[in-house]
Amino acid sequence: MKTILSSLALLVPLTSAARFTLHIPNTPVANPSTLPPTTHATLQSSGEPYTALLTRSNVFSFTNITAGSYLATIHCRDLAFEPLRIDVTIEEPVEGSSERREVIRTWQTFLGNEWDNKGEDRGSGGNGLVVDVRPIGPKYYFQERGGFSPLSFLKNPMILMALFSMVLIFGMPYLMENMDPETKAEFEEMQKKSPIAGAATNPAQSIQNFDMASWLAGKSEQSASSSRGHSPAPQGKKQRN
Amino acid sequence: MRLHAVLALAACLAPAAAIFEDDAYHIDFHHALIGHPKRDATFFQKPYAGSKASLLYTVSHNQTIGAVNPKDGALVWRQAFPAAAHGRGTLRAGEDQDTVVSAVGDRITAWSASDGRIVWENTVHGAIMEDLEILEQEDGITNTEAKDSIVLLAEKSQGVKRLDGKTGRVKWSYQDTSGDTPFQVSTSPTAIYYISLHTPMLGGYTKLRVTSLSPITGKQLDQYTLNSELQSPEDILFAGANTAAPLLAWTDKSNKILKVNIIGSKGVSSFNAPTKDAVESIILHAPNRVNSLAHFLVEYHTASGHAAEVYHVDVNKNSVSKAYSLPELAGPGTFTTSTSDANVYFTRVTTDEIIVVSSVSHGVLGRWAIKGSPALAGSYPVHGVSEVVVKAGTASAVRSAVLFANGQWALIRNGELAWTRPEFLANVASAAWAELPEQEALAHELEVEGHQNVLAAYVHRVKRHIKDLEHLPAWLQRMPARIFNSVLGKSQDSGIDDIQRDTFGFHKLVVVATEQGRLAALDVGAKGKILWNIALSQFAPDTTFSNPSLKAFRGYVEVKDPGFEGSLFVNSTTGGLLSSQDIKLQPAFIEGTQKFITFDLIDDELKGYSGLETGPQPVWTFTPPKGERILSYAARPLNDPVASIGKVLGDRSVLYKYLNPNLILVTTVLDSARTASVYLLDSASGQLLYATSHDHVDTTRPMPATISENWFSYSFTVDSKSSSVSRGYELVVGDLFESSLPDDRGPLGAISNSSTVQPSAAQGDAAKPYVISQTYNIPAEISHMTVTQTRQGITTRELLVTVPSSNSIIGIPRMVIDPRRPVGRDPTAQEALEGLSRYSPVIPFDPKWYLNHKYEVMGIKEVITSESGVESTSLVVAYGLDIFGTRVTPSLAFDVLGKGFNKLQMLLTVAALFVGVLFVAPLVSHTDAFQVLTRTVAYITQVRRKRINSLWTI
Repeated sequence: MKTILSSLALLVPLTSAARFTLHIPNTPVANPSTLPPTTHATLQSSGEPYTALLTRSNVFSFTNITAGSYLATIHCRDLAFEPLRIDVTIEEPVEGSSERREVIRTWQTFLGNEWDNKGEDRGSGGNGLVVDVRPIGPKYYFQERGGFSPLSFLKNPMILMALFSMVLIFGMPYLMENMDPETKAEFEEMQKKSPIAGAATNPAQSIQNFDMASWLAGKSEQSASSSRGHSPAPQGKKQRN
Repeated sequence: MRLHAVLALAACLAPAAAIFEDDAYHIDFHHALIGHPKRDATFFQKPYAGSKASLLYTVSHNQTIGAVNPKDGALVWRQAFPAAAHGRGTLRAGEDQDTVVSAVGDRITAWSASDGRIVWENTVHGAIMEDLEILEQEDGITNTEAKDSIVLLAEKSQGVKRLDGKTGRVKWSYQDTSGDTPFQVSTSPTAIYYISLHTPMLGGYTKLRVTSLSPITGKQLDQYTLNSELQSPEDILFAGANTAAPLLAWTDKSNKILKVNIIGSKGVSSFNAPTKDAVESIILHAPNRVNSLAHFLVEYHTASGHAAEVYHVDVNKNSVSKAYSLPELAGPGTFTTSTSDANVYFTRVTTDEIIVVSSVSHGVLGRWAIKGSPALAGSYPVHGVSEVVVKAGTASAVRSAVLFANGQWALIRNGELAWTRPEFLANVASAAWAELPEQEALAHELEVEGHQNVLAAYVHRVKRHIKDLEHLPAWLQRMPARIFNSVLGKSQDSGIDDIQRDTFGFHKLVVVATEQGRLAALDVGAKGKILWNIALSQFAPDTTFSNPSLKAFRGYVEVKDPGFEGSLFVNSTTGGLLSSQDIKLQPAFIEGTQKFITFDLIDDELKGYSGLETGPQPVWTFTPPKGERILSYAARPLNDPVASIGKVLGDRSVLYKYLNPNLILVTTVLDSARTASVYLLDSASGQLLYATSHDHVDTTRPMPATISENWFSYSFTVDSKSSSVSRGYELVVGDLFESSLPDDRGPLGAISNSSTVQPSAAQGDAAKPYVISQTYNIPAEISHMTVTQTRQGITTRELLVTVPSSNSIIGIPRMVIDPRRPVGRDPTAQEALEGLSRYSPVIPFDPKWYLNHKYEVMGIKEVITSESGVESTSLVVAYGLDIFGTRVTPSLAFDVLGKGFNKLQMLLTVAALFVGVLFVAPLVSHTDAFQVLTRTVAYITQVRRKRINSLWTI
């Protein structure tokens, strides 16, 4: 640090010793008093950055900062902070006066943008300037594990399908019973035409005997019988019929 | 090809793996270390006035300040200084204060004692803080407010300063221009004594000079030179003690005569050493409290044992007299001082017992036998601090925090070992992976079998299997408990204590060598359990190991050190020394016509040599362009398996990877122009394959680089002085391909049988890679980077970067830094299929990428990775000041059932289904059910046959 300082002192003819503090306000987002003691702020320009640790009064105090344009970053385990641009210059407060003073200006800055692309003004002034830094939010290090919840279980399309078919299987006979005779007859007529044919006497059995493969192949019951020799399953069916 | 496409797709779709909360603190470990605590700067102290419990504060040999909870040895807070901090480093605390004050390097800092926050800091540029004391009393009145500090500075602005206890502002300073060597300061209620070493101009012995200063104004009150003829400053035993009678003690070269002076008086008392044997060292212990009795203890160490004598100071007469002596005990031991009101107690800690005596008489107040512990086996106490509770003339309790010779910092409470902290692991210089003893043994057996004829090998194998049967009863015995635990979702942590061959290969040893010359082995899978710990100096007694480097071989590690010629071979499972005859030098992995090329950085040039050793005649030399300075070079890892030789694009065409095993990435900087360059070399031929350079680079900052598979990456800091466009830190990633066109093998395409894997066999010039690279802005500086390693290389790699400013290690998913991310437009459907997203210049470090999550890993020098037993997982160990280990799954744990798989829930589901079956069974008759079954089976076979047929026809 000391070598850097002396080298900077050589480079910048007007060595100033600006002094300012960054303050973490007490916000609903975070209580700065609970932050870990390793929380620190850095001012990066060239060479080794200036570093200030968080003090007991929740500030980072920088002293002996030479003129330059700095990227201020706050490193904290628990909170993320927005970066700042801090310019330290030496100016004449009144035109023509020989007196020169340090002037500190701060802005919001954006990573990956042009350095001149400054954001909101975050205050400026002479030595002893206090700038509030804004926490963006807490850092969440862990991934949530998808736990078991009945709602997510019910949202599963497979479960929904199963439930729907359950309702059909158990609810249909009840519906049929409550149908008026006219509709019932119409329904039975319709069922006879359906591929799950015939056996109104034993619907369960007819469902079991339904040859899904041949139906999918677009074959009717009769034409399917000609190709039955190929597969063992319909043969069994034939025997039973 | 289809398989590759599927794999690539799977890898792309896999979300960035983060740590699950229930895995954190289980799969990883962190040794948060301080370092060896310093003798005079370790103490028990209440963090604030009125606090019930006290904390243990220390500053270590590497200038780290830490507060440890004496109950369990947990770190309460810690502050490390930048590596350059030099000087002695002292830590002091005033009575009933809520701060501790440290003087390290050129800064004096007050820390909040309870949480380690900074209270104030004062820096004197160019100076070194030599000594620090707290001004307890002023004119005999105890200051109840913040107590001021007295600091002694050396080198530039040599002298004494008094700093305000509240703000750290300088109240007065006393400049010393005499040219003496400043030694220490000491305070008494009436004056401040500045002790310096005065060497006469005309030669002669160094003498002690005492200057007394007024505490209020800092003006010199008196100055005198003591009649003390010192041969070296090391002969000074003691200076100070904040008592009513501060002392100065020194000895002669042969440690025979002890000379004591009460600071402020000119009289010197002499005492002879009590033992007849040659005294190796003398240590003086005096209480540090203003109102305690002016008694002190002198400890004499001989080769065979240690003895002590207690002296009393008569403040009125300014005389020192011997009160009593403590008997000589064989073996090493140490003494500690503690005070209670005005009483002073001395605690003697030896390897097997703790004895408490009062400073007034030699009667033993308490005695406890120390119960042995494997952590302290074969070691002895070096120094410590104690707290004693004395009730009605007997010591009812004592706790001592003792540093042992093997580097363990232990707290012994009434003879019981409360905790140990492995402080010897601080500042690891080098580390290497080693296999577990079991794996090594198996590998050895298999090797034996490999060298026998078929029959003998078979017999050997059968014998081995029969021998393995002896583990069967134990295995069967453990089985119920294991199943029970596994079903209830209890962690596999139970297996941590005894290392057994684990199926997943998570248990691996990492052997570490520290800057203090210690060698230790840790089990990464068992939360960093220390398996053995030895001092390297026991193998080479005359050598001080300062920067040992390790190289792992099968079953042993090779230790090299700049201060030691040749190398040591240490068994990696036991820590025992192997002679070079024991080791059959590895039948190196050369096959037939292959040749070794060794390369090294010599005189700012990278040189390659034929054979295993560097010789006078390099085969090739890489000299960077004029003025450029080589920062570092990185080579592909020795074991870097690649699963696929190409990258499958969204349209099913393939970009062939440039896979040269001999790639080296050299980073150079040109300080004057503030540019950085990167050169990609072929280490076999020394040919330059690719070069690029960057302007506006801060050449004083680190520039880490790494290379793996067919990609490289490096990072640098943007310099502010040049009018660069943006600011901050940049990360560059480059991919190497054989050709810019998909389905094209570039210059290799014309050759019928060629491979970049063996470029020596390629004809003509080595083919140059086609490089795609992208640069990203990153929010923090990187000090080191490496890449994860897995068994087959199927899992996507993850770039592991060390970010010192946030004390963390971050795993950046490869997908995020893919250089093929489309710039300035949204990805096309095919690119999206590859997992590419639109390029954005900034890569914010997502907290979910932090491998260390809430741990703060400080002072990390390097991160090493290793494959584990399963493809999905890579083992990671970071070392430096701390040691941190974890395992990462860059493409999620696809081959391991994690904690997210609830076995209990699965069993319950099966049970529920069974109940459901029982409930539904009556709905279908018995015969029907049978028919349903047969029919379903038949149907499925039919469908499957059809599908197989269709596959064959296609």
